[in-house]
Amino acid sequence: MKVDIQHLKKIVGPENASDDVAELYIYGSDASVHQAMPDAVVRPGKTEEVQEVMRYANKNKIPVIARGSGSGMSGHAVPIDGGIVMDMKRMNKILDIRIEDVLCVVQPGVIDDDLNRVLRPKGVFYPPTPASSRVATIGGEIANNASGLRSVKYGATRDSVLGMKVVLANGDLVTLGSNTRVEASGYQLARLMVGSEGTLGIIVEATLRLTPVPKFKAMAMAKFNKLEDAGKTITAVMTSGITPSVLELMDNVAIKAVNTALNMGLPDVEAIIMFEADGRIKAAVEADMNDIEEICEANGAFGIEMSDDPKEMTRIFSGRKKLFAALSRYQKGLSCTSLADDMAVPNSKMAATVQEIVDVGKRNNVVMTAYGHCGSGVVHTKILMDTTKPGQWDNARKAVSEVYDFVRKVGGTTSGEHGIALSKAPSWKKEKKDSLEMMRAIKKALDPNNILNPHKMMDAPDDWVKATDLRYTTKVQ
Amino acid sequence: MKTKHLKDWENELDICIRCSYCFEDCPIFKELGWESSSARGKILFAYGFLHGELEPSEFIAKRVFDCTLCRLCKEKCSAKVDITEIIEACRADLAKEGFVLPGHKEMLENIVATGNIFGDKEARAPVQDGETPLFIGCQYLARPNRTKGWIKLLEKMGVKPKIVEETCCGFPMKALGDREKLEKQKKDFKKKFPFKEAITLCPTCAAFLKEDYDIDAKHVINVVLEKLGGLKPKSVGKKVTYHDPCDLGRSLGVYNQPREVLSKLGVELVEMKGNRNLSNCCGGGGGMLVSDVPVSDRIADKRVKEAVDTGADLLVTACPTCEQVLSKASARMSEKGQGSIKVQEMFDLLWNAVK
Repeated sequence: MKVDIQHLKKIVGPENASDDVAELYIYGSDASVHQAMPDAVVRPGKTEEVQEVMRYANKNKIPVIARGSGSGMSGHAVPIDGGIVMDMKRMNKILDIRIEDVLCVVQPGVIDDDLNRVLRPKGVFYPPTPASSRVATIGGEIANNASGLRSVKYGATRDSVLGMKVVLANGDLVTLGSNTRVEASGYQLARLMVGSEGTLGIIVEATLRLTPVPKFKAMAMAKFNKLEDAGKTITAVMTSGITPSVLELMDNVAIKAVNTALNMGLPDVEAIIMFEADGRIKAAVEADMNDIEEICEANGAFGIEMSDDPKEMTRIFSGRKKLFAALSRYQKGLSCTSLADDMAVPNSKMAATVQEIVDVGKRNNVVMTAYGHCGSGVVHTKILMDTTKPGQWDNARKAVSEVYDFVRKVGGTTSGEHGIALSKAPSWKKEKKDSLEMMRAIKKALDPNNILNPHKMMDAPDDWVKATDLRYTTKVQ
Repeated sequence: MKTKHLKDWENELDICIRCSYCFEDCPIFKELGWESSSARGKILFAYGFLHGELEPSEFIAKRVFDCTLCRLCKEKCSAKVDITEIIEACRADLAKEGFVLPGHKEMLENIVATGNIFGDKEARAPVQDGETPLFIGCQYLARPNRTKGWIKLLEKMGVKPKIVEETCCGFPMKALGDREKLEKQKKDFKKKFPFKEAITLCPTCAAFLKEDYDIDAKHVINVVLEKLGGLKPKSVGKKVTYHDPCDLGRSLGVYNQPREVLSKLGVELVEMKGNRNLSNCCGGGGGMLVSDVPVSDRIADKRVKEAVDTGADLLVTACPTCEQVLSKASARMSEKGQGSIKVQEMFDLLWNAVK
């Protein structure tokens, strides 16, 4: 069905809808390897406009794909079946901050860092903090159940969302969750929306639980000559009774990349782990840091540097937050691709996993890196390869498959925080094989015409390479 | 579409992972909101052309030329992709296909006809013999009194400027995509300005002379910093905020020098929210001043608002375009009752302190 652009312009205003082929091209990709053209883009400014667009789309069975900043790495916002891309960035108001209730209410287009810039002076913050927090929208983070550097202590998005307003496929507006920290009964529908990747509804408002800003913070950086030792250290810290607020691993590939791209001056060793501890009492933070230092040393760390200088801590963590893009500078001729990406594994399997990632890369003649919020079990990797060579894509496909086979074998999960969408669907479907029908039933109940971000997650194609055109010109078979 | 210029950036375009970090503070994207107006949008257009996935159109040309070339996108890019250079290459390929915006066309023709962007046939550099080549540049040719002032100040500091009959450095031709005219202009420039070192009054000229002519070009503020002490300047005693011109800051890395000069003038310096490498643009670069005045104005208004928010008495900058654009913005805001601040070029402060 052809999209009636004039009708959409009537709903959102002529300046907020487009079917110009150039605009469609831009909205056809995100930070993943995928691209596909939508038929129209709309930029609603209020809930009623979202409802009206959904009523139109549902009646005419046109796909609708909600989009924040398009920083997703798995193809969430890529309109695999065309349709209407709904850019939510105009709905970017912080509607309410209720310090006495330790919550805030925001529209979906609010940028994470913008929200925290407003919250922190009030003594609270919204903790998920993905590395992309400078551009990521709250709506995108909820749809993706994002987490980040501080998830080891403060949890993922799901742990900070109390409730939300959602426009359903038929245009109905529903209020889910509550304004309270606990809510006992009924299906946890707000939680169902978290991580649903735009397949169940369009989030138009979110009530977020806030966390007091800790008074004291300190960080340490431990160096390792063996990646495996770093992995063992992570397991040891996480079973020691300490909950660090940050526990980040970077292997040598990651270190070299940020040093090259950003002149960070990180030590050129096999691996580093960055720790942060925070709290209300300085002595308690110091005690945690001292214990962490002892554990590191017992597991082969050397040259441990500690700091409580806020500027230095910001500098070091900013290098980590910029790592994804910086990886493209690891070696001339190699580009950073987001394929196998953000798996999570049980604590005890950390050392084996980070080593396996590097070994899989070597076996398949591509460079792979291991880094991530390993305290919460998330191990990131990227495949660095010459994207102009079809053979490299074959290698990458094999490497992706081997990494995920390993992750499932050790009881891990395909995605710890970046979501499934297209790139990770093949592995995830194997992992979730006995619950896929349950998910499809939920999807069908809420979206009988299958218009909300169709053919993602459980309904995504089995071969990610063939799911869409890839953003690279090399034709991959 | 032929992509002669974009071809050089093929690898760099593969380095870009499209993370969108570049549009965090992109001034154009902040105003227009559509992702096609963002730095990433322009990168995607470049990619689309290069790989035959897009054909040029007036819409795309407008989007690609809607850029102040402020380089904040590169600053924000974690892979340090040279986004501005890619945008300029994209403009060059679009221009070759005939996509040139009317205001830009006039500016380029002016340079060919008169040697300056304003098409002012009477504009002449105040030729004089001396020791150190001084390049005046189009903006200061249009401000003869200010130019005389700078020359006087330099002489007071013991510099003997050598000034020749000059022609535009050609930067607008690169920025606006006319590479054929640029090559001819460069030949003409080299004949008229055959020096290995130079002082320039305009930051953009300094950056371009350095990058494209391999001239050891110094912006005048560097010279002032070296020599000012000898003049024993009087204390200005004001609260000042400093606007980093994009080409002086992000192109040349000159951040401390103007601040040190201000410190020698005894001002109380207060920084705006965006400063140094993260300074926000004045809105006047990249051809926007003639091709999209309303957007350029809105960007300038925001920058003045930042300055007003500091509580400073004066907004000082070291670029003639920035001064002009910000002054107008301040007047506009004053008319609307949205607060205003006096805008001055560094010269005014310096001259008052040493005259």
